[in-house]
Amino acid sequence: MDDFQTGEETAFVVDEVSNIIKESVEGAIGGNAYQHNKVNQWTSNVVEQCLNQLTKLNKPFKYIVTCVIMQKNGAGLHTASSCFWDNTTDGSCTVRWENKTMYCIVSVFGLAI
Amino acid sequence: MEIVYVYTKKRLEFGRQCNFSDRPAELHVDLAPDDKLVHDFIEKDPCDSGIQCAQEMSEHEVNTERFESESRGVNHVEGGWPKDVNPQEVEQTIRYRKKVEKDEMYVNTILQLGSVMEHCIRQNNAIDIYEEYFNDTTQESAEEPSSAKTINVFRDPNEIKRTATHLSWYPDGAKKLAVAYSNLEFQRSSPDTSLDSYIWDIENPNKPEMTLKPVSPLVCLEYNPKDSHILMGGCYNGQIAYWDTRKGSQPVELSLVEHSHRDPVYKVIWLQSKTGTECFTASTDGQVLWWDTRKLGEPTEKLILDPTKKMNIDNALGAISLEYEPTMPTKFMVGTEQGSVVNCNRKAKTPADKIVALYTGHHGPIYALQRNPFFPKNFLTVGDWTARIWSEDIRESSIMWTKYHTSYLTDGCWSPVRPAVFFTTKMDGTLDVWDYLFKQKEPTLSLQVCDEALHSVRVQDNGRWLACGSHSGTTTLLELSDGLCVMPRNEKVLVTAMFERETKREKILESRHREMRLKERSKSEQGGGEEHADREGEGDEEEEDLVARAEKEFYEAIEAEKKDRAAKEAKRNEALKKENELQGEVIMEEEGEEKVNGHPEKDGGTPDNATE
Repeated sequence: MDDFQTGEETAFVVDEVSNIIKESVEGAIGGNAYQHNKVNQWTSNVVEQCLNQLTKLNKPFKYIVTCVIMQKNGAGLHTASSCFWDNTTDGSCTVRWENKTMYCIVSVFGLAI
Repeated sequence: MEIVYVYTKKRLEFGRQCNFSDRPAELHVDLAPDDKLVHDFIEKDPCDSGIQCAQEMSEHEVNTERFESESRGVNHVEGGWPKDVNPQEVEQTIRYRKKVEKDEMYVNTILQLGSVMEHCIRQNNAIDIYEEYFNDTTQESAEEPSSAKTINVFRDPNEIKRTATHLSWYPDGAKKLAVAYSNLEFQRSSPDTSLDSYIWDIENPNKPEMTLKPVSPLVCLEYNPKDSHILMGGCYNGQIAYWDTRKGSQPVELSLVEHSHRDPVYKVIWLQSKTGTECFTASTDGQVLWWDTRKLGEPTEKLILDPTKKMNIDNALGAISLEYEPTMPTKFMVGTEQGSVVNCNRKAKTPADKIVALYTGHHGPIYALQRNPFFPKNFLTVGDWTARIWSEDIRESSIMWTKYHTSYLTDGCWSPVRPAVFFTTKMDGTLDVWDYLFKQKEPTLSLQVCDEALHSVRVQDNGRWLACGSHSGTTTLLELSDGLCVMPRNEKVLVTAMFERETKREKILESRHREMRLKERSKSEQGGGEEHADREGEGDEEEEDLVARAEKEFYEAIEAEKKDRAAKEAKRNEALKKENELQGEVIMEEEGEEKVNGHPEKDGGTPDNATE
């Protein structure tokens, strides 16, 4: 059993992480409409919840979580990243979530120890 | 020589092998600008925003922890002995003492304790540092105006408030106050109303010292003056119960319902007896019952307050107050709901003879009845709108009375230390202190104790502390100023003279009254039938005239009172003197009116007129 799991355990599973992100965003923002004075709260809630769930996976990883919330006012948004790491173990996952009034972009970088 | 050192370290101790490589740049999000969405927004111009120049403040409330005190006592008799030594046995204790003295630590301990004790012993005990030097000089109390201050307020701790119906002071010093609580409004008390009554430590208004748990709410409660642990209570359902404070909150014994009163027990008084276990109770069912706490099963004696002396309970007067003076152990008095006072003698030959005399004069129930502690021949009654002082010898009328107040009087009592001072409570929540030597028309001190009706008042034996119970169960403890509780040197003489003078006056009036009646009777006997009819007609006219006059006087009095009140409203602070005059007039007129209404058969020779 242990041997079978080792591969899974040490790898960054993108599907798993993207589920966590989606759940966190739904939990923190849900159906709320964009409100300027709430955005700070939402962003920090999203990253906190994400990180909480990720650490519960008990994998030997360092994590970096970022969150961007943008009002849907017609402006464009473009982000990119580049990494120098161990391509076999490390990984990243970005989720774009949107509702009627805003975009929420969350990126997670997992770095194996 | 060649020295070679070989260092070995396993690969795994170095950590993971770094296999880093570059990951090409990756586009995460690529949202193109969307012109359509821009139309959903409009520019906000001009933009309003408020600015507050004042400093931002906040308010916080903090409750400090409530201080609750609790007193506990330990009675230390004999202690420190080991288990196997009986302190009662002299031989055993001596043996143990000797054993201890032989102990090698004994000398050291004594030396150590000796230095501590020496300090105490060396303190100068020859001079009493608490001595009062000017104890024997009597204070001239007339200097300061009399006053009273509130010391403590004890509130009924229950959600549904009940009236503090009766108060009783702890007989050994002013330490505790027993308060009986019950709702006296007929069938108004809800089933959730608590039945408990409480004993309060006068220092601690937070929590009652003890709870008494009767089967039916207590209407009256009285400490046994001979045994301060025993309390006797009369219940709303007519039962009698007694408590021993050493035995807890439940009553020690209850009287049987079938042998008890059938109405609320309004008053209980302990009798002067060798055993200190006897007491008697009064109730509105018209009975006075005697009890012995050693067997509460049934009353030891019974009296039905039938004024016709036939012992018929249907004619009986409802008793609402009692008076008993320990110096006259066979006599007692009962105040009735019908406004008369019944003077009784317990040791009469037949039960009917127990009723000695009847004093009538009040227009409503007599809520308080007390003999003057210095002159037991004179007693105080409180009922309707007046308080009256009577002499035992004069049955026709009281010898002194207060003005008719605008609200009902509810209770009253004499000061135990000054013969001329008494206290009355009123429905409007005021406590009046009367000093009859100083002022007769007005109370010396009128104090608004609370906003609701006061129901009971009781003075402590030192005459300085006074407790009043109110309609919603608030008991207020007041301390009277020195002037009201220190007897001036010549007061007794003056009061004696006053009572004697008033008694004499009433006696003269009474005899004159009797004379006139006699004369009239003889006249009417002389006159024939026709004349008699004429006289009757005249009488009618006279009566009509009287009614008309009474009406006129009544409306005049009302008008005067109205004016008086208006004047009071307008200038509350000034023109005090004028107000007094006006009030004086009102009183005279009111009393005049009362004469005609109350005793239409009396002619000009009524005592009221004579006094004025």
